[in-house]
Amino acid sequence: MVGYILRRLLLLVPVLLGLSMLVFAIARLLPGDPVALAAGPNATAADVASVAREFGLDKPLVVQYWHYLTGLFQGDWGVSIFTRRPVLEDLAAYLPATLELVLAAMLLAIGLGIPLGLMAAVFRNKWPDFLARTVSLGAISMPRFFLGLVFQLLFAMWLGWLPLSGRFPLTEDPPPHVTGMLTVDALLSGQFHAFGVALSYLALPAIAMCLSPLATIMRMMRASTIEVLQQDYVLTERALGLSQKLILFKYVLKNAISATLTVIGLYFGWLLGGTVLVETVFDWPGIGLYATQAVLTQDFMPIIGVTLCIGAIFVTVNLVVDMLYGLLNPKVRYQ
Amino acid sequence: MLTTTRRGVMAGGAALLAGMATGRDAQAQSRRILVMASNQDIPNFDPHVANGYSASMALRNTYDSLVGVAGNPPKPVPQLAQSWTISDDGREYTFKLDLAAKFHDGSPVNAEAVKYSFNRLLRLNRGNAWMIAGVVDQNSVEAIDATTVRIRLVTPFVPFLSVLPWVWIVNPAQVEANKGSDDGQAWLRSNLAGSGAFRLRRAEAGNLYEFERVADAWRKGGGNLTGAIWKITRETATQRLMVQRGEAQIAVDLTSEDMDSLKGRSGVNLVIEPEYRTFSMKMNTRHGPLQDANLRRAIAYAFNYQGMLDVAGYAELMKGPFPESIDGFDKELPVYRTDLARAKEFLAKSSTPNGGIKITVAHVSGLEQQRRWALVLLDSLRALNIELDIKPMIWPDMVSAARSPETTPDIFMVYQTANYGDPDNLAFAGYHSSRNGGWQNPVYSNPEVDGLLTQARAESDPEKRRALYVRFQRVLMEDSPDIFGVLEKRKLAMRSNVQGFAFTPVASNAIDLFPLSLG
Amino acid sequence: MSTTTAHPRIESWRRGLYRFRQSWVSVLGLLIVVVLLVLAIGGQHLAPYPQHIAGMVDTSARLQAPSATYWFGTNELGQDVFSLVVAGTRISLLAGMAVVIVGAAFGVFVGAIAGFFGGWVDEILMRLADLKLTIPGLILAMAVAAALGPGIGNMIFAIALSWWPGYARLVRGEVMAKREETFVLASRAMGAGTNRLLWKHILPNIMSPIIVKMSLDMGFAILTVASLGFIGIGVKPPTPEWGSLLSVARVNMPDYWWTAIFPGLAIFMAVFGFNLLGDGLRDLLDPKARR
Repeated sequence: MVGYILRRLLLLVPVLLGLSMLVFAIARLLPGDPVALAAGPNATAADVASVAREFGLDKPLVVQYWHYLTGLFQGDWGVSIFTRRPVLEDLAAYLPATLELVLAAMLLAIGLGIPLGLMAAVFRNKWPDFLARTVSLGAISMPRFFLGLVFQLLFAMWLGWLPLSGRFPLTEDPPPHVTGMLTVDALLSGQFHAFGVALSYLALPAIAMCLSPLATIMRMMRASTIEVLQQDYVLTERALGLSQKLILFKYVLKNAISATLTVIGLYFGWLLGGTVLVETVFDWPGIGLYATQAVLTQDFMPIIGVTLCIGAIFVTVNLVVDMLYGLLNPKVRYQ
Repeated sequence: MLTTTRRGVMAGGAALLAGMATGRDAQAQSRRILVMASNQDIPNFDPHVANGYSASMALRNTYDSLVGVAGNPPKPVPQLAQSWTISDDGREYTFKLDLAAKFHDGSPVNAEAVKYSFNRLLRLNRGNAWMIAGVVDQNSVEAIDATTVRIRLVTPFVPFLSVLPWVWIVNPAQVEANKGSDDGQAWLRSNLAGSGAFRLRRAEAGNLYEFERVADAWRKGGGNLTGAIWKITRETATQRLMVQRGEAQIAVDLTSEDMDSLKGRSGVNLVIEPEYRTFSMKMNTRHGPLQDANLRRAIAYAFNYQGMLDVAGYAELMKGPFPESIDGFDKELPVYRTDLARAKEFLAKSSTPNGGIKITVAHVSGLEQQRRWALVLLDSLRALNIELDIKPMIWPDMVSAARSPETTPDIFMVYQTANYGDPDNLAFAGYHSSRNGGWQNPVYSNPEVDGLLTQARAESDPEKRRALYVRFQRVLMEDSPDIFGVLEKRKLAMRSNVQGFAFTPVASNAIDLFPLSLG
Repeated sequence: MSTTTAHPRIESWRRGLYRFRQSWVSVLGLLIVVVLLVLAIGGQHLAPYPQHIAGMVDTSARLQAPSATYWFGTNELGQDVFSLVVAGTRISLLAGMAVVIVGAAFGVFVGAIAGFFGGWVDEILMRLADLKLTIPGLILAMAVAAALGPGIGNMIFAIALSWWPGYARLVRGEVMAKREETFVLASRAMGAGTNRLLWKHILPNIMSPIIVKMSLDMGFAILTVASLGFIGIGVKPPTPEWGSLLSVARVNMPDYWWTAIFPGLAIFMAVFGFNLLGDGLRDLLDPKARR
């Protein structure tokens, strides 16, 4: 077991290295001149050159990459040309918001997806199943940004039940910063009113994000449950008189959840990368918005930083999922 | 894990309903916090580096300058300087500082601080340095005594007082203590060394900035605000809804449709006023088909000005390079309006009498109004059989494209905002060849215009000055280097409980918090 | 019943078609896709105001609600939203198809080479594919498309860049499996070269899972194209791509909701239709995957 973990961890290194190289290469291919903007409208050629020197943009590409890599390990992820703030600082400020959104979406997706999938499997080929299947396909097909807009229109603008955008009311002080995730921080400090408020802001964006993974988890759950229910050992146990419920609990859940774990691992990364669209609609200050701003102003250090950050999180989550999977299913470990 | 979430949701839901009932606004009222919604971030608090209206808002409230600007039409008003005298030749200004003025750390704002600040601005040559470039140099500012400052201009510059509100005075002791290797830029980026009536309480990058009133500020009077929040709201529709629901008190980026949507709503006042922001489409006079003046005139006649106006909403068509309210505006100036017959006449005289060419227009990607106007232009040019290629570019790309005539697109869309109510600002920045290579005037270069502008800048006799600017406008219209577009009116939506607001057509979206109150 | 047994492949096709017809969701998907194809091919000729698609503006008719004259209302420039949405069909469909084809072509090529040659060639190519998978597709597409500049071609390239690993892995697995089969060994014994083996013998036999995947991916390709358009990367004005139409229309909410709702619904219907169809096609072509 330990060997398995170590091997996977070791693999992490070249992957992350390759990731950083790839992203750096792409980002530096950007045409356009963010230096000109930073230098101001009346900058002379000398000014532009000095700004370029300030950010080390006049050295050969390989040297720049080396500086970048060594800097990474020292905690220097570069400085955003546009905000003139260290990228790491920016990431630390923006990441918790995205994580909060992603975690909320995942919780919703799992919390609703698994029972719905079970239900669909148990009522297989009857109308709840068909309804669930069509609705789930619809959910996957729905563009998140459009759904977000419709939610805003319906629940915030026309009905006024939920807030329009943002994370917290402006004139109130947010709960003391621990994780940066407002709902968690509110709970940790016992401020239930603040928790409720933060939750109301989180609701619409999280629901908009969760539909796709919810649908997929539901389908996977349904598929693997059906498969398990048809297995010989289940039929045997049925024949021997064991109740349906017990069978479900014993085998179905265990096997089904292991399949769902994979989906969670996959979707976590997808969600992380896909928050851009929902963050744009709801003005949610996360790394998606930060990345968009960086892309639109061709600010390469943040682009690299965000991609590296998301990539690293994704790879780590996958590792954890793999390990959990290995725990559940020992055969996997010895591949 | 699931059960806790469910319970939490129920508890949260109940708390939410309770919270909505008790009214969060009541809490805000006792603290009298003004919420402003804008889509511009404030990434830099260094008064000698930052630019943009959001930075101007933050800086004018946390720092002070020698004089301020107020009224409509705008006039300089005392701020750090209680009074001033100007020498007869217009080259020497002597300011007497207010004895009560002090920085947030208690030290007095003295003449040395003023000298230090001017010199730092010139040294760094960023931010608003261009406003005094060539006019003030390192030897100009002299501290006669602790409360008297004398500034000797290098060349005469009539609008000097109009520029000063944007030159802010920093606390030399604090800046020196945190100088580092870059003249304090790293420190001042996120720290304040000012004397203004407000201080920064909370800064969340890309999200909001909270200001609070300084307890023992030296400036007496003003409104009753205890604090203010600059909330970054990217969507104008969201800004509008925030004002509608009272979540924000001022929205600064609304479109004409937003304003229409708010008309008649109780509790909301609309401020729609003309100001000094021009929008023109600059044609490339040095490279490409638009070097031909007749072609330029043809396009200026073919353009669908009414369509542009319809799309712009609360705006007026420009009548030349100056807004009407600027001193020196020529009422008799002949302007271009849609006239297809004359357009075709000029087209026939040009080097491409049948059109058949393709030109490009660049606009800032993401700016909705510019996108719409580009489409109106596309439609207009079809009458001349000219094809238009619309290139949305990000602003940095546009700035770098303006560097040389070869890279500048055929048509270049640009907003110009006068930071001061003097014709020199718009004229010099937009049409003097010394600004070539910059976004304000990428390529246009006309020696006659240069001469007129340089002369006018230094001319102290108002009548003669006006005459020079009239000539300048005539020459410009003849040359037709720009398609003069619209003067968008400034559109602000304000809750009716905001009191003390007086509109000034200079930087009105950089809200001055000092006089405001929440009723 | 005839005594001669029909060719097994045709039999399985017939059975598949029967199943397809039985499943009403698949038929619904087919219907939607056919309508989309008609709109895409018909394009200008089916739109009531084709001049608006070409860029004409009519500022006196701005922001009018849906009515008999303008079925989906007009936008901020007076252009007919229905015509714009119809025109967008062709762009979205073509772009989606291009993404899938380019991604599949490249992925099939890489995967075939990796699967056939194995060894370190396989290792390197698969590591490269893995690398691509660590970067979320949207962010990668954003960065690349922004780097290359506006334009449909660049956008397609950017998205296809994150699409190909899926095909590479699929094809690699299939090729590896088929490599050891008898017909391949037999061909080799008869002296067939690598190229022939790969392209003429192995690949035709693994087309069905590739086609299934392509049809399943079509919906998401359209969605990704629209997502990039929504962010503001992709087409140049005045091209009426659905995502950009939606993005531009956000400022008009809620008062002029029709400028946003109809393009959004169009995106949804297209993706939904292709997903339904893809599901159905999978039942048809690859019954092993049927649940």
